[in-house]
Amino acid sequence: MIDTVASILAPLLGLAGSAGGADAVVSMPFEMPAARNPAQTARPGLIAATVLPSIQFAATQAVAGDTVGATLAEEPALAFPSAAKRAKARQPRQLAFDFSDTAHAAATAKAPLITALAQEASAEPMAAPAPATTTASAPMNTRAEAEAAPPITPDTALLEGRRRPGYQKDLPERIEQMNIGAVRPPPPEAFYGKEDEDYPDGVQRVGMNVAVPDRWRITSSLCPQGGDRSIFVLYPNLRAVCHSTRDPFHHNVLKGDKPIDAKHKPGFLHGNDWFFIVNAISDTIVEPRSFPIPVGNQTTERPGSDDTFGNPHSLVLAQTFITGVSLLKGQTVFKPPIVEYRLTLATQVNYVNVPERRVLNVKPSKNSDRLDYFVGVQEAFVDYHLGKYDNSRFDFFSLRVGIQPFQQDFRGFLFQDEQLGIRLFGNRDNNRLQFNLGVIRRLEKDTNSGLNSVVQTPRRDYIFLANVFRQDFPVVGLTSQLSLTYNMNREKNHPEVDDNGFPTRPALLGNLRGRNYDVVYVGYATDGHIGRINLTSQLYGAFGQDRNNFFNSEKAKIQAFFAAAEASYDIDFMRFRVSGLYASGDSKPYDNKETGFDAINENPIFAGADTSYWIRQTIPFAGGGRAIGLNGRNGLLPSLRSSKEQGQSNFNNPGFILGGAGFDADLTPTFRLSGNFNHLWFDNTATLQALRVEGSIPRSIGWDLSAAAIWRPLASQNIVLRLSGAVLLPSKGFKDLFAKQGKEGQFYSVLGNFIVAF
Amino acid sequence: MSFRAAFNNTTAVAAALSLALAGCGGGGGTGNTVGGPAPSPTPTSTTAARLFSDPAAESLSIADIQKIIAQAVGEARARNLPVDIAVVDRVGNVLAVFHMNGAKARSFTSKFISFLGTDNPAPVEAQNVDFLSPGGAIAKAITGAYLSSGGNAFSTRTASQIVQQHFPPAPTTPGLESGPLFGVQFSSLPCSDFSSRFSAGTAVGPKRSPLGLAADAGGFPLYKNGVIVGGIGVMGDGDYGFDPTILDTDNDAEEFVALAGIQGFAPTDLILADRISVDGTLLRFSDARIGGLSALQTNFAAINGSAGSLIAIPGYNDAVIVAGAVYGAEASGIRPSTTAEYSNRDIYVFSDGSGANRYPPRAATDGVAGALSASDVRAVLEEAFAVMARGRAQIRQPLDSRIQVSISVVDTNGAILGMIRSPDAPIFGSDVSLQKARTVAFFSNKLAASDLTAAGLGSFVIRIRTFLGDATALTGAIAFSNRAEGLLERPYYPDGEVGRPPGPLAQPITNFSPFATGLQTQLVAGNIVQHRDFLEGKGPDTPRGCTAAPATPGAPNRIANGIQIFPGASPLYRNGVLVGGVGVSGDGIDQDDMISFLGGANNGGARAGNGLGNAPKAIRADTVIPPGTNTRLRYVNCPFAPFLDTTTQNVCEGL
Repeated sequence: MIDTVASILAPLLGLAGSAGGADAVVSMPFEMPAARNPAQTARPGLIAATVLPSIQFAATQAVAGDTVGATLAEEPALAFPSAAKRAKARQPRQLAFDFSDTAHAAATAKAPLITALAQEASAEPMAAPAPATTTASAPMNTRAEAEAAPPITPDTALLEGRRRPGYQKDLPERIEQMNIGAVRPPPPEAFYGKEDEDYPDGVQRVGMNVAVPDRWRITSSLCPQGGDRSIFVLYPNLRAVCHSTRDPFHHNVLKGDKPIDAKHKPGFLHGNDWFFIVNAISDTIVEPRSFPIPVGNQTTERPGSDDTFGNPHSLVLAQTFITGVSLLKGQTVFKPPIVEYRLTLATQVNYVNVPERRVLNVKPSKNSDRLDYFVGVQEAFVDYHLGKYDNSRFDFFSLRVGIQPFQQDFRGFLFQDEQLGIRLFGNRDNNRLQFNLGVIRRLEKDTNSGLNSVVQTPRRDYIFLANVFRQDFPVVGLTSQLSLTYNMNREKNHPEVDDNGFPTRPALLGNLRGRNYDVVYVGYATDGHIGRINLTSQLYGAFGQDRNNFFNSEKAKIQAFFAAAEASYDIDFMRFRVSGLYASGDSKPYDNKETGFDAINENPIFAGADTSYWIRQTIPFAGGGRAIGLNGRNGLLPSLRSSKEQGQSNFNNPGFILGGAGFDADLTPTFRLSGNFNHLWFDNTATLQALRVEGSIPRSIGWDLSAAAIWRPLASQNIVLRLSGAVLLPSKGFKDLFAKQGKEGQFYSVLGNFIVAF
Repeated sequence: MSFRAAFNNTTAVAAALSLALAGCGGGGGTGNTVGGPAPSPTPTSTTAARLFSDPAAESLSIADIQKIIAQAVGEARARNLPVDIAVVDRVGNVLAVFHMNGAKARSFTSKFISFLGTDNPAPVEAQNVDFLSPGGAIAKAITGAYLSSGGNAFSTRTASQIVQQHFPPAPTTPGLESGPLFGVQFSSLPCSDFSSRFSAGTAVGPKRSPLGLAADAGGFPLYKNGVIVGGIGVMGDGDYGFDPTILDTDNDAEEFVALAGIQGFAPTDLILADRISVDGTLLRFSDARIGGLSALQTNFAAINGSAGSLIAIPGYNDAVIVAGAVYGAEASGIRPSTTAEYSNRDIYVFSDGSGANRYPPRAATDGVAGALSASDVRAVLEEAFAVMARGRAQIRQPLDSRIQVSISVVDTNGAILGMIRSPDAPIFGSDVSLQKARTVAFFSNKLAASDLTAAGLGSFVIRIRTFLGDATALTGAIAFSNRAEGLLERPYYPDGEVGRPPGPLAQPITNFSPFATGLQTQLVAGNIVQHRDFLEGKGPDTPRGCTAAPATPGAPNRIANGIQIFPGASPLYRNGVLVGGVGVSGDGIDQDDMISFLGGANNGGARAGNGLGNAPKAIRADTVIPPGTNTRLRYVNCPFAPFLDTTTQNVCEGL
């Protein structure tokens, strides 16, 4: 009859959810893919920095957004690695898919360019390098290539004005060097001008400063350094590239737009192209809501509390500052960085006020409000680019070690978190094939913020994951993902009590005996579009063994299933969505088979995400389990866990069915309105019945109606205001389970979220 | 002797594993882990005009009892643990006590303190009391029989789980509230004025238990054809204790012996404690599994005389095997009411064996202003019964079974003004409902302080007055529900909050065990010891009427079967004047609260009229916040989703 604090208030993840949710609701047109958004492209730091919910989720969302189509569809693999990686990875994609003239030119220039880059990266010049500066305009195909190209047929002919990488409709005239007596251009070595690098001739040249130290400063090198602004008279448009070095919204060393100046570079950084990125995000949440709150068992806040359910109204306030630094070596734009070091901290102060005792703390004598704070380490990793696996298509392999964000599928149904892990990821086949291979050991979470607590022993919970994405499979525009996720939990002998005194592992359910479990999730997902229908879908099967079915103290086979799909259609500025989701429930609690689907750590961007009441709010499983939430905060599954963040997965659960529709309307470039209408059911209430000793619990949960307004005054992610409201209209099943003082009625959730990002 | 095993984790777990493995092999096609038949849901109603069905007429025959004893003895011999074995019927008649040669003659109540993790160096109250072992066996058998019903099979292990300072008892649960039946071990006491006593040739129950109810593993209910017909208790290791943690799997020899005894008489899976959830926590019937049993010995003749013999226990059995009474028959002391007694055909009454209702509604003996009349009492009983009959049981299977309880009404003298019960209510609730009714009437009474002082327990008066910051406490200014009173008798205040001092009527946590609950224990400790001596032939039996409180006109005294400290009773007021109490006990404490508060006091009072009802809100205990505790007392807690005929929630709101 208690609500764990975590469930009531998981601010951090809440934030994550809220920001992500906003974006989720927002979805595509509003959220330009970063690669196409000049502001964001120019600000890899911003994207990379977004460790947390807010913008990062935005990026994720954009990636997952169904309308993005092919361009976005290819992004997920990169997106999951990290926003920064995403930002970098966008370039190749753009080359491949964006048919604008410049992009095409770049594409055609690709081979030599890569060669040049490879030289920088590996210091092993490839054969026949050509001067990069000449490549953009010069036809690059060699005669041999041209001759080898297949003949042009009507089938392969391209539309007028459209070009495709690697194909030229009309081959240009062969260029013959007729400039008899001309001097050959200098060899590439002649252009070496980098410090601290050996030249091919073996001669060290120190301090070779040139007027333009790197290409990022080509334009700004003409900017006036002192008070003399007279150059603007000569070149008025130069103003557009000359800004204060402290202005983060234009090219700025602190935001990784330009590499660290060689003159200021610390000595321990070897080589060039070191970028430094500072992030600072403020995320504010104001969340009045109501949910069925049981009165305290041993005492009550007020006299006359003679029943199970009390006053439902409560308030959450949370302020999170996400601060991070990232140091990376690479070229940021044209290929993944060679190495990246990143550290991100989230500092949160949260306040919750509920009207009943023993909701926020196991101690009944504690007042029913709480102020708490925590500093969590949300990112702390090294990302090392395994350069020897690079190929001429900018495909790469990278190894990332440390606390890092990861999302196992398009929508965060199974696992989305910032966790301690080692991950190998990369792509192949011109970025059309992407993969992740990783091991994660989950960190303990701070109960009230949901942030990573690195001062506690990490959990004995391990995730071994592998996934592979294939673009344009099975149809053009749709990306498929196959995933295999093995969650190995060994917490049987390591009980955990959360920060508020509630036992969280094992959960206070059934026999209370500790348990281990092994479960393998086999997943198939698609994301993209078929024609004009945007489509995301996900299938999971969970198979394994629970070493202690808390219903009968015996081993149980886990066999549970999950399916979800969301389709949308865009008409002008409107998007219309339909969503459906099924998670199997357990029909026979006392048998040796657990068929309730549960995720590892879901954070779903689906059906309105945290705009929706059900996804946002946790319902304490009053009467059926102490310190048990029917569902998790920012989660879909009613899996009866002690806490989404700290609890173990529970496959003895009623399962879930959702059917809904929604819309997003981009009324202006800065203002979006969204609405969602979902109906919710349990799949099978047998477990609820067994735990509540109540034989007739209908499956229907109720209608979840919500609306959200998002205003981005700058049309960027730097300032985002969101206000959403949701109401749950309980149906029979919910009414049978829960109520509030004053008997029946609706429950509401209001979420005000204000994000400012530097 | 569960607690030592409990702390011997390695062996216990290893044993459990081997048992589990063995159980897989040996379980056979039918049955469950404790040897019961495959589940077959029982119908809840047989007659269209009624909401409840009568338990079928089943009873233990002499041959049944012989078989039970033989099975238990066989297992005890296989384990080299000579034991005392008691078999009782559902209403507590001791049908046989078998003493094996070499069984420990004396046993000790445990002095183990969970909080300390060790024995109490200076045992208090009922800790470390030695007694003749057969008494422990009888108490265990009665516990198995009394806590169980056709819809729930509870054992002494189950009892252990629900009477400790945190629920459930486990290293992982400090901070959580106490067990729901905290204090129930001090019921059906040998001094109870309600419980009947042994008299050769009559089977009128419910009978008393020499030690109240037991929490030491080794007591199980017995079933025939799905009907509870009695219980078995086994005492052999000399330690009469409890289990401080449910997380492990004990290897308790007494429990295995008792488990062997119930083979052929075991409950079905469906109603095992393991299938009954309290706030999401499943109860536990047994850690012993049939896979761990030796080959069953069923031949009584083969062991009688050679392995041991039937023995006489003064006040309980004359060294003969007596067939069990048929529950519900006049001879058992519990029968359906007659149409002359109650129009509701579901109401059962306590009978004297000769057809006379022992506790028909009668007028109060106290002569207070607005004293309860017989019709008032009838209204309270019947309206409480009506709410019960609509309600959903917490501890009864199959799901959505109706609540079954016993209901008692007393006046301010503690005189029994009426008692009724439903057809299959667990028997323990008979005595407990009366304890509860008396407890609320007593603590709300202006004479409470003087009675306690007269009983030699004036120190508790001082403590409660200090605690409440009220020098006049216990003089009738506060209306105590049983829930509120019980909170003052927990080893932490607020209940379960580690680090807090005890309630004023409780032992500190460093002394607390189910054998030392504070005032409750001290009120009856003298009676229990007197009875212990009587069993040994040293002195007279304890009188009918527990405690040394001053006698009252209508009863031995106001708390003549001891007080009870878990929820389920409301005091009755008429126009602001205390006139009595209504106590309820059976299928769940929140249900008990609702039936007494909503059914008995509120609805019954409304029907009776003339201002009868619950205590005025202004004087209820939930207006009291003891200074410095920031913790309000609670009055009642009506259950979630209480009724079967509607989904209405919060049904006690505003009353």
